[in-house]
Amino acid sequence: MVDSIHAIGAVVVLAAVTLATRLGGVWIMSYVQITPRINAFLKYMSISVLISIVATTAWTAQPRIWLAVGTAALVMVATRSLVGAMLAGTALAALARTLGL
Amino acid sequence: MTSRLVAKCADPTLADSAQRRQLIDRSDRPVANDSHVRDRPVSTCFERTHFTARGVWRGSVEIAPVAAFVVPFGIAFGVAASAKGISPGISLFMSVAIYAGASQFAVLDLWYAPLPLATLALTVLAVNARHVLLSAALASWVLQVPLGRRLAALLLLSDANFALAMSARSRGETDAGILFGSGLIMWLMWIASTAIGALAGSLLGDLSRFGFDAVMVAYFTAVIAGQWKGRTDLLPLIAAAAVAVTGTYILPPGWHIIAGALAGGVVGVWRNG
Repeated sequence: MVDSIHAIGAVVVLAAVTLATRLGGVWIMSYVQITPRINAFLKYMSISVLISIVATTAWTAQPRIWLAVGTAALVMVATRSLVGAMLAGTALAALARTLGL
Repeated sequence: MTSRLVAKCADPTLADSAQRRQLIDRSDRPVANDSHVRDRPVSTCFERTHFTARGVWRGSVEIAPVAAFVVPFGIAFGVAASAKGISPGISLFMSVAIYAGASQFAVLDLWYAPLPLATLALTVLAVNARHVLLSAALASWVLQVPLGRRLAALLLLSDANFALAMSARSRGETDAGILFGSGLIMWLMWIASTAIGALAGSLLGDLSRFGFDAVMVAYFTAVIAGQWKGRTDLLPLIAAAAVAVTGTYILPPGWHIIAGALAGGVVGVWRNG
């Protein structure tokens, strides 16, 4: 359990980091141009954080989490609906849980 | 710097001189007797921006239908945080102060005692690095308004209100208040829906028995699949996943995410940069 003083302190730090990213682009633009290479790096890095979390979670998880990942990916590709994909993945994992998988 | 900014302001959509004049007339600044302005070459910056309460209101109204879509994600975050044993007060504070969905979900993955602060900060920095691009794209727009209003406009920057502001700008909008107004509504919806999710989670007790522990991976998988642009994305994905999984065995706790993020970024640049 994380106690609230540490939790509040951590959230303040994380909020400052996030704020820096919001202001950072305008600040950087007054010094340098964002080249296509920098652009590609930032985009791929952002999505790679999510990939890393999904990959490591699924690596050690039960089959029902794999089911959630597969369902969410398929529904997203088929419908392009983020909400639909999230709900379908979660629902199937929940169903697998009640079926004892 | 000024000359570069001016060059950047030469928006092709404003090339039509009648449209340009209309834009100038709509701005709050005195423009009477400005025949010299009309005679300026097209390459000069005519995209004078300002920041007014009317702009804030327009932004709020225009974003409303989009903001409704944030509700399921806010609820999902509140529920997922609750499933991690985080009190409703703290998860609400996260949504108020951080206000960046994917990074808040990523934080949940690293939320254990003692809190790995450096890892948390780097992970949040990596997830939100794309804000730098959004912010950079708005630079020529917001640099023209006074510092306080510029900060307000950027404070609540997200993918959704960025998209709204950019489309407004391309049809000739010159009021940066639209960015703040739309951000404000998105922010309030995010907070309110987090509260609903966190309270529901704390009332329902152990959420893994319902399978809600899969919310985060399902959401992330959907985001990844949604950004998928074809086979060129495959190698960065494999690099990120392989480095991250390997990292769980050889790196200190949490650092596998940063290693995976850097690997994906580097391979992405190598293949597509």
